Order: sequence, then C-alpha cells, then structure tokens
Amino acid sequence: MRRRPGIGGLQNAAAARDQYRLLGENVAKLRTDLMKEQLATFRSQLEDFARKHKNDIRKNPAFRSQFHEMCAKVGVDPLASNKGFWAELLGIGDFYYELGVQIVDICLATRPLNGGLISLEELCKLLGQRRKGTREAISQDDCLRAISKLKVLGNGFEVISLGKKKLVRSVPTELNKDHNEILELAQGQGFVTVDEVQRRLSWSSGRATDALETLLEEGLAMIDDGHKDGRRRYWFPCVSPVSSYTASESI
Amino acid sequence: MQTLGEFKLPNFFNYPPYFTLQPVKDTREKQIQLWKELILEYCRTHKIFVVGLDEDFPLFSNPVIERSLSHEAREAYLSALVSEGRAEWLDKSHRKCLLLWHRIQDWADLIISFVKDNGLEDSVMTVEEIRSGVESRGTELHGMDRTILMRALKHLEHRGKLAIFKGTSADDEGIKFSI
Repeated sequence: MRRRPGIGGLQNAAAARDQYRLLGENVAKLRTDLMKEQLATFRSQLEDFARKHKNDIRKNPAFRSQFHEMCAKVGVDPLASNKGFWAELLGIGDFYYELGVQIVDICLATRPLNGGLISLEELCKLLGQRRKGTREAISQDDCLRAISKLKVLGNGFEVISLGKKKLVRSVPTELNKDHNEILELAQGQGFVTVDEVQRRLSWSSGRATDALETLLEEGLAMIDDGHKDGRRRYWFPCVSPVSSYTASESI
Repeated sequence: MQTLGEFKLPNFFNYPPYFTLQPVKDTREKQIQLWKELILEYCRTHKIFVVGLDEDFPLFSNPVIERSLSHEAREAYLSALVSEGRAEWLDKSHRKCLLLWHRIQDWADLIISFVKDNGLEDSVMTVEEIRSGVESRGTELHGMDRTILMRALKHLEHRGKLAIFKGTSADDEGIKFSI
C-alpha cells in the first residue's frame, strides 16, 4: 500500500493497522478453534482406543507406557482421579493404587537392610516376585507413576537420579550433594574407601569421612573391615542389592 | 545359589560387610538377626549340637569373598542365641556353645512321641539306647547330643513321666517310663 503524506495518509495507516490486527485475531481464533476441534476428535479417538485395547493396556507394560505418553500429549491424565471416565473404563486408578501400596510395603520391609534407599531396579524385581500370581507385568515406568501418586499423598517418597540409575527414597533422610557423589562413586564396585573418595572427588579427608559417617549412621552404608589390605570399605546396599550376591558354585 | 554341601546359603553370606560387626544399632540388630537364623538353621540341618568359637565352623568364614567373622562377632551372634533361649554356653569363657535348635521342651515332646510310637510306655531303656538304639533310627532322637538328652529326660522326670536310675554298667543310666 502506498503511503500517502498528510493527515489522510496517517489515518489510512491507522485503519490499516486495525484491520491487520482484526485479521490477526481472527486467524488466531480460527487456529485455536481448529486445534480445539482436533483435540476433541483426538480425545474421543483416544477413548475409543482405550476401550478397544483395555486388556492390552492392563497386561502389557510397554504398551501401557506408550498409552500414557499419548494421553499426556493431549492433556489427559488417566490417573487424575479415581472416579470419572478413565478410572471406570480401565480401572487404572486401582491398579496404581494397589501398586503404590505394594511399593510402600516393600520399602518398609527392606529398610533395615538398605536404610530406606532402594534402587528402582531392585524394587521392580521384588514387586515382580510379589505379583507372580497375577498376570499383569510391571515395568519401571509403572513404578515411577505409582510413586508419583504416592508423593501427592505426602508419603515422603522420592525418586533420586544417580547417573543412569534411579533410587527410590522412602525415608526423610535428606541426601546432600556430597552424599550423592559418594553414591555415584560407589556404583562402580558397590563400595568406596575414604582414600578413594578423597582421590577421585578431590576432597579433604575430613569431608570424606564426615559424609561417609553420616551415610553410615543413616543406615545407608555398612562397614567392611575384613579385607586383607586392612582398609575399611563402606558398602552401599542400595546401589548393589544384597540379593544380587549369589554365587553359582557350590562348595 | 551358593551352597555348603546341600545347604543353600542366604545371599547376605556373600556380602562382605555382614562379616564385620556393624557399629550402627539398627543395622547391627538386623545383622545379628540374620546370622542367628542362619546358624540355627544350619545346625538343625546338619544335626550340629556344639559349636566351638575357635573352630573351623563352616559358617564362620566365606573363602569365596575372603572374609571371616572375628571372635567378637562370633560371640555376639551366639550370645544373641543364648539370650533368646536357643543356645547355652558350656563354659564360663564362652568358648563352646550348645545349640538348641529344638528347645529342651521340644526334645522332651519328641521323646514322648517316640515312647508312644514304640509302645514303650511302661518299659525300661538305657539312655544310650534312646539315642542310638534300633528304635531310634530314622527319628530325630538318633544321634542326639547326650547333654541335651539328659536335660530333656530330667525335664520329663520333673513332670513325673519317667524315672532315671543308675544302670548295671558304671557309665550308663536307665530310664523307667511311666507315660
């Protein structure tokens, strides 16, 4: 549009701007409407899908996980409430509730052995053993979802990331950065020595000892004075579960 | 699963820290409980009645992980069994321990069953026959520790189920049942 000088020109420009703005708003509204419609269509298709594949969702953890992802993309949370369409259709609310109860149970039972910190892998394994009777397999993804629901109830459960692994904490023990670094270091052999911590993390011996002693007192570490080199080792059951220590030979 | 002969060893037996007495109370309590159960179960399976603290008792060390229980740890675990009434020290210096994987009362009940099963309600037997005679073969009484047997018999004597008397040979006593 050609700009014309003078007041007339200015008025035209303002009018043009207004028109563009209106057009812009319309386009935006159009896009939103379209999106809402698409979303509604998608949601109803999701519901159909869920109905048709209800059994697969219940029985197959990988399938279930992908279903959750699909739901998340459209802003649907099947676990949001125990009532309502999703819970009734899939009974999924109950499934995760039951899982949550079993997780709490296992954490309490293993607490004397690991101080209230258990690897997600170990937890899943124990859950699998406990649920051997049912035909519903459990994945780590299921565990994490159940735990996130537990958190909402304020149970003090938390998932900690340690490098590539995840640990589930079921006690109020706060782990600071120093503790986390030691736990990560311990993942190598299942234990650390004071020397090793000092060397690998470049800490003073005081700092290393303090952190290790705290972990010991919290029940997260166990001492081992039996090695022939005479050096005390601090073992961490949560990174190398005792249940994994089975030898295959017999004496 | 690691085994000692046919006996299946629990997983903690392969985890080195369990061979060091833990300083933290809660951890130590759990540790002691696991060891108590293991010792009792092992002795029951192998019919071991006496454990010497300085002996090469198979549970005291695990060569696979190169760990051994210190004397202090051995005494701690056995003392815990004693406190629970599942063992007794045979000497003041706590060097030898008698394992009661059956309590005296349980042994007494086994003797009574044995007597009834073999129709010996009014008969006479020597103490030695109870634990090594033909009738005892195949029962739990066979090969049982003599100290424990005497204690169980005395327990039954108290309850009037039998009478102990000196036998014809100088070294053996006889039992007259009145069950």
